[in-house]
Amino acid sequence: MRTETKLLGGFGVLGAVALGGIIFWPVRTEPAEITLQGDVQRGAYLARVSGCISCHSDFENGGASLSGGKGLSTEFGTFYPPNLTTDATHGIGGWSVEQFAKAVRQGISPEGDPYYPAFSYPFYADMTDQDIADLWVAFQTVPPVNESAPENDVSFPFNQRWGLKLWRAAYLYDPDTESDPTKSDAWNRGKALVNGPAHCAACHTPRNFAGGRILDARFEGNDALPGDSKAPAITPSTLIEGDWTVSNLVYAMQTGITPSGDAFGGSMTEVVQGNTRFMSPDDLEAMATYLLDSSS
Amino acid sequence: MIKKTIIIAAVTSSVAVTALAHGGATGIVKERMDAMAVMGNSVKAVAPMMRREVDYDAEAVKSAAQVFARHSGEAMTKLFPEGSGGGASEVTPEVWSEWSKFEELAEQLGAYSNGLALAADNGLGTSMGSAGSMMGSSSTDSMMGGTTTPMIDFTSMTADIAFNMVAQTCASCHATFREKE
Repeated sequence: MRTETKLLGGFGVLGAVALGGIIFWPVRTEPAEITLQGDVQRGAYLARVSGCISCHSDFENGGASLSGGKGLSTEFGTFYPPNLTTDATHGIGGWSVEQFAKAVRQGISPEGDPYYPAFSYPFYADMTDQDIADLWVAFQTVPPVNESAPENDVSFPFNQRWGLKLWRAAYLYDPDTESDPTKSDAWNRGKALVNGPAHCAACHTPRNFAGGRILDARFEGNDALPGDSKAPAITPSTLIEGDWTVSNLVYAMQTGITPSGDAFGGSMTEVVQGNTRFMSPDDLEAMATYLLDSSS
Repeated sequence: MIKKTIIIAAVTSSVAVTALAHGGATGIVKERMDAMAVMGNSVKAVAPMMRREVDYDAEAVKSAAQVFARHSGEAMTKLFPEGSGGGASEVTPEVWSEWSKFEELAEQLGAYSNGLALAADNGLGTSMGSAGSMMGSSSTDSMMGGTTTPMIDFTSMTADIAFNMVAQTCASCHATFREKE
């Protein structure tokens, strides 16, 4: 009996130490100084492709650009995309480009707290310093809005941010953006976009109980998206079965029109209207080329 | 009480049987699904032209535009009487709680379809896509901002751009008023 108590107590102490370790476990590293000159046009384009603008703005309800997005209601709670305007108090006006880089590529706030993966930072990890510099100067053109987005409405235990460190250890995957020399330039460009900034898998890959992507089921669709939305499978075989081709996939990403003569509904409408229709025909063709041949 | 329950059960099951007999949708729900299918067929007929997969045919585009226009506005909204959701229907309750937005989109479908008919003779533009200009001439402010609706002059617009505007109207409406699947 006493041994058991001691043991339990021992585990308790161990647990507390471990927990303390996790809470104070510093995450990731400080990015090196970024001195590159950014290109505003390129940055704005990347902000479109990556969904910064569509997610962090609520145009439908009259919100200003990047002043905070519509709440994302999930099984873990409701997440509100924050204000990313140049306001120093309510936006990111007081940030340095290095802090911005850390937020975007590593998912860590300037205070050192991990962000919830409702923010699709895992897909941005391979952005280059030039990408970051471009994004950064584009963000500098956004007029300040002096109002904060609502606080996330997340209940226990998901409101314990240290828990996200465990999440990161378990489910933070490096994006697969590496080139394959046996494939065409378009395919490789498409791969880097699809698995990187365009973050298709954020919705089109199912997630487990903890919101981690199930990598073995990549692009097999997700029936449980925030807001009761569903994303269909976009594996090459399902796309080919659905009469998708490079040409009509490009067109669908520009217009929302599917090969069957339907128009997308659900969240994909927002993706087309806020992201993909701004993309260059070359980039769209590259993404379509890769998606139709993504398993090889 | 028991009698009432039996009657309700009987009514419910006969409704269910009828519904099944008509492949899921009946009455007004079937009517509007048929209307959507007619428009879908017209989209399917002209979309390959817009994608430059087949030769452009201005007359075919005009007749598709007429089909869209015929099903727009009140012809569209009258197919959605209050309480006609549920069951085989894919409509969301928002159609009734945001009726004026629905009406607006139905009207917009008509306006843009008429515009498409006007633009049909202009043929296709030189580049694919509606927003290509966002990378070129337009200011960065709008690139980082929302989209505004400028004055629309369909007579000088190419058919593919006009068709995109129709398509985006379909998509906007589906995004809010059709169940997500």
